[in-house]
Order: sequence, then structure tokens, then C-alpha cells
Amino acid sequence: MGKSQAIKVLISVIGLDGHSTGAEIVCRILMDAGMEVVYLGIYQTPEMIVRAAIQEDVDVIGISSHASNYGQIDELLELLKRNNMEDVCVICGGTIPRHQMQELKKKGISEVFPPQSTPESIVHFIVSNVKRAGNSVSGSCSCS
Amino acid sequence: MKRETDYGHPIKSVYTPKDVKDLNYERDLGDPGAYPYSRGYHPDGYRSRVWTQRMTAGLGSSRRTNEVLKKYREMGQRGGMLVICDRTNAMPIDPDHPIGRKEAGVLGWPGASLLEFEELMDGIPLTGQSITLLGSCAMSSIRLAYVVALAEKRGVNLSEVHGSVTEYPFCNLFGQTDAQPLDLNLKLWLDSSEFIVRNKIRMRSGILSQHFQESGGNNAQALAVEMAMLKELCKLLVDERGLDFDDVAFLPYELVSVGSRFFEEIAKIRALRRMWAKMAKETFKARKEKSCQLLIAVHTSGRTMTYQQPLNNIARCAIQTLAGAIAGCTAIDNACLDNAHAEPSPLAARMSLNTQHIVADETGVADVVDPLGGSYFVEYLTDKVEEEAYKIWRKIEDLGGMIASVQKGFIQKMLKDSAQEKQREVERGDRLIVGVNELVIPPEEDFQIPIQELKSEDSEEIAARMEEWKKTRNMPLLQKTITQLYLDAKKEDRHNLMPSIIEAVKAYATAGEMIGVIRKARGLNYDPLETIDCPFNLD
Repeated sequence: MGKSQAIKVLISVIGLDGHSTGAEIVCRILMDAGMEVVYLGIYQTPEMIVRAAIQEDVDVIGISSHASNYGQIDELLELLKRNNMEDVCVICGGTIPRHQMQELKKKGISEVFPPQSTPESIVHFIVSNVKRAGNSVSGSCSCS
Repeated sequence: MKRETDYGHPIKSVYTPKDVKDLNYERDLGDPGAYPYSRGYHPDGYRSRVWTQRMTAGLGSSRRTNEVLKKYREMGQRGGMLVICDRTNAMPIDPDHPIGRKEAGVLGWPGASLLEFEELMDGIPLTGQSITLLGSCAMSSIRLAYVVALAEKRGVNLSEVHGSVTEYPFCNLFGQTDAQPLDLNLKLWLDSSEFIVRNKIRMRSGILSQHFQESGGNNAQALAVEMAMLKELCKLLVDERGLDFDDVAFLPYELVSVGSRFFEEIAKIRALRRMWAKMAKETFKARKEKSCQLLIAVHTSGRTMTYQQPLNNIARCAIQTLAGAIAGCTAIDNACLDNAHAEPSPLAARMSLNTQHIVADETGVADVVDPLGGSYFVEYLTDKVEEEAYKIWRKIEDLGGMIASVQKGFIQKMLKDSAQEKQREVERGDRLIVGVNELVIPPEEDFQIPIQELKSEDSEEIAARMEEWKKTRNMPLLQKTITQLYLDAKKEDRHNLMPSIIEAVKAYATAGEMIGVIRKARGLNYDPLETIDCPFNLD
């Protein structure tokens, strides 16, 4: 698989929490699967994440969340809509209770991965739901 | 499945006297209360004082956290209270900061001012129990000022207050929310520690291996990092601040993460006692016996609390609590069954406290000190983890010590590699986790636990209150004390900022304001997130 064919994923922790271990592990899992990963780190606002997603021309945005309120994910989705980026697949992971997972998916998150999700499940989801043709992001996220 | 310790040492099926043939009781163990303290610090163990049984509190407003503390007291929280700060306060920025307001009160207490501390402690005495406030380093110097200020207000003798409100400067390396640079954290830590020691305040400073381990470090690494941090920080207090080691030795307390590998965790704590005792005597030439006794508290491992089948976590927490009690410690705060889902619900909190009560009151474990002392396996494990820890600690010292190792990236790489390796062990099935990589059930069949949450409106309420309240303060006094703090922060590092922090705290300056002007004095941006400007005219 040539570099131009690799699925490109942006991984970021959202908000103020500093627990980055989970996000870093997902980065390694995706790189092992042959994807190109851009890792933003901690203290990222929704604006910063969207800006980077545009700059890096990614197929997938993966958000690691530790807060118990999800307003910032709502903001992220709103910003993506305003920037016509609804074809970018957004997935989440972290300490997110099940009923919140349902809520997030209703709002436009394609999938939510709880702690200890298997690498296979994350990789499989991305590979099955993202199409990349040549260099351009034609990513049609066939989920929801 | 791997039959190895968590740091990779093979485990045999049986241990015999041959495995501990070089063990010398007087030299390596000692009775409880005798050097090198491998077996504990008190001849009577828990009979003289049972471990403090406490739960972490902190969610939503200060008033709400105050209610939770009172509730925990009813649930049998004995001996001490423990509050962790929220994400904004850990940085620190204020709850009314444009970015901070989205997470005010999330995952902790929004302790941004003396007002918040007064509300937190409403109807709760400052004495008679240990007061522990957790969360990042720079903020901790301000928490110390809260305690000093409130004691003064209530007419309480400061020497009667005990607990811990300050924390070590390295936590932002270990997955914690802490936006301050190491040199600023270190300077503030030295200031608060020197203030505590010189004023003979019975407050400890948390120098924790818990964060390191919860981010993926193994037992041998955790001991090495802990000892390296303790050595470096004590040395700085002695050499740079001119303090006596026997006074400094009263300052540190360690919070150890205790996981499910029962015997290894007990061995880890026994080895730690011995390692500190030896360093105190041999390196620091301690003259007092008490100086050779490191205060050790236990936090059962939040990392092991699974998202899947959360009721299983009750069993895990019980095993870990039992290990902590058997190892011997001064306090236990255990993680909760819903750790991977949300902040502890009242059900989960009660379950965790009850687990401690069951271990303390029903198992007989509290009747005997170091009951596993003399076990061939446990003594072998204690020696082995100490030996492996020394190898890593020596590497850290060869690089120039803890700070130098951090600057060279050694500590960070070691932690990241260990975290990745632990993950791979689970992926490969080398380490089994029930409900996660074996005996998995579909989520629909899982028990639904009650979830306690904070809503976005709650955060906004805290933020709006702070915004309004700020305007009602005595502005001339605030300006005066903040300016003094700024001027003092421009002086050399050796100049202790605690007195000016205390004055600013009494004038109701906020955490974001105080750390902001200290940052400005050091040539940094007032706001670590570079979003707001300093509201004070400091010229």
C-alpha cells in the first residue's frame, strides 16, 4: 500500500485532561495497521483539532475524551459541519458511559470505543468505513 | 499466559528456604518498628492506629463536594478526607476562563480561591482528621496558603492541622493535567516545602509513584523513579534551601498504586520501606529513627478497573485493598467499580468504603503486622523487586539524577515503552483480564450500573458564579497583594513566595491570577493557554 493510499487519521485528546496514554496506544495500533497518524496531544480545543484536520487533510478524526461532560465534542461536530467536513469520519474513545455513547452517535460520532477495545475492532471499523482514492479525501463515511 | 512479575522476572511454581538462604532477619527485615523497617514502622501495627479509610471526592461545585464529604463521613470515611481538584484548577486556570469554563467542576473540585476552600470546608473541622487535597504542583502552593489562611480565620492552631496539600513537580510527565514548566513547578515546590519545614507544619508533600504506574510503569521502574525523585528533592531542600535532613524527612509521603498481582504488590511496598530507610541512613546520614520511615499511603489501581462487567471491579478492588492492608500503610483510598465510566456514584463510593471496612473489621488482617513476613515467596519477591529497582535507579543517577533524566527524555521513554508493552501483553493474551480478553459477554447482557455525571450546565454555573464574584472583591487590596506577589516572583528563585502567596490568597486572589502573575514575572505568558491577558496593571 503506497503512502498516498494510506488512510490518514488525526488523533487528539480533547479538553484539559492530561491522561494521554490511551490516545498514544491507539496511535501505535493504527500505525501498526499501516495507517498514517497525526497525533496532536493534550490541551486541544475543538478549533485547534478542526484546523489541524483541514491542514493535514485527514480521513478520520479520533478523539480521546476523559471529561464527564461532552459539550466540547458537540462543538467539534458543529465546527466540522460549518467547515463542510461532514464526510470526515469522527470516532471517540475513553471513559464514556454506554448511554452517552448512544447520545454521541445520534449527534454524528460514527463509533465510540470504550477502554480496552481490541485493536482489531478499531482498525476494522476504520478500514470498512473509510474510502480513500489516490491523494484526495473522498472518504465516504458509510456509518449512521 | 505469562508467569512473570510485572517487570518480567520469571515466577517458579514453589519457593523454598533455598530461595531466601541469604536473608538475614536483623539486617534485611527487622521487627516492625526496627530498621530497616521492611516489616513496618509500628510494633503493634494497626492495633495502635488503623489505616485511614478514605475515598476521593470532588465533582461539581465546592458546595456539592462539601455535601459529598459529609456523606462519606456517614459512610464511615475514617480518619481523613481526600479531595482532588478539577481539570481547570490543576493547570491552574480559573473556572471563568473561556476554555476553563467548559470543564469547571469536571473530575474534581474547582478550588480556585479561598472562597471555594471555605465552602468546601463548611461545617468540617480543620483538625481531628487528615486533610488531603490532591492535584498538580504549582496549585499546591496555593492550597497550602488556603489552609494557613483558613486556620488563621478560624482561630485554629496551625500546628494542629495535618495531612497533605502539596505535590511533587514531576506529575505532568505522568499523564496528569499540569500546564506549568518543570522549573516553575520545582521552584514552587521548594518554596512550599521549605515553608512547611521551617514553620514546623505537620503537612506532608505527595511525591507519588502512583501517577507513573497508572500511566503504565512497572513495579521495578516505579520504585526506581520514586527513590530518584525522593533523593533529588530531599537533596535540593538540604543543599539549596539549607534545611536539616531530619526535618526534611518529615515532609514526603508516597502514594503507591496497588494492582491485582497480590504478592508482587505487597513485596513492592515492603521493598520501598527498606529502600528509603537505607537511603536515609547511608546517603543522608539521618540521625533520627523517624527520618528512616517513609510515610506510605495506598491507592488501589484505577487502571485495573474495567469498563466491561464493572461489578467484577468489586472483586479486584477487594483483592487490592487486602494487599494494601497486608503490606502495611497509613491510608488507603480505593478506586471504584465505575472508574472507567464516570466519577464515583454514591453506590460505587459506598461499595469501596465498605470494602475497606470489611477488610479492616472482618478478615483479621489488621490484627497482625506484616503477616506474610517470612513467606519464602514474599521475601524472595521483596528482594527481587528491590534488586531490579536499584538497576534502574542507578541508570537514572548515572544520567545525573531525576531532573537530568527527565531533560534527556529517559524517564518519559521508559514509561511509554512500558505502557505499550503492557498493552501488547493484553493483546497477545499474555496477561488475562476477565471480561476484556477472556470471558467476554455482549454489552446487552452486562449489568447496568448507575452513573453519576456532571452536565455542561453545571460547569457553566460554576464559571458564571466565579465571574460575578470576582467583581465583588476588595480590589485595592487585591491589586496590592497581586503586585507584591509579582515583584517577589521577579526576585531570585531562592526567594520564598509563600508569604506573598498567603497574602494574595487572603485578599481572595484566584489560582489563575496568582500563577498567572508569577508566570509573567518569569517571562512566560500570563495564561498557559494564551487566550486571556493579565487583568492587572503591574507597572
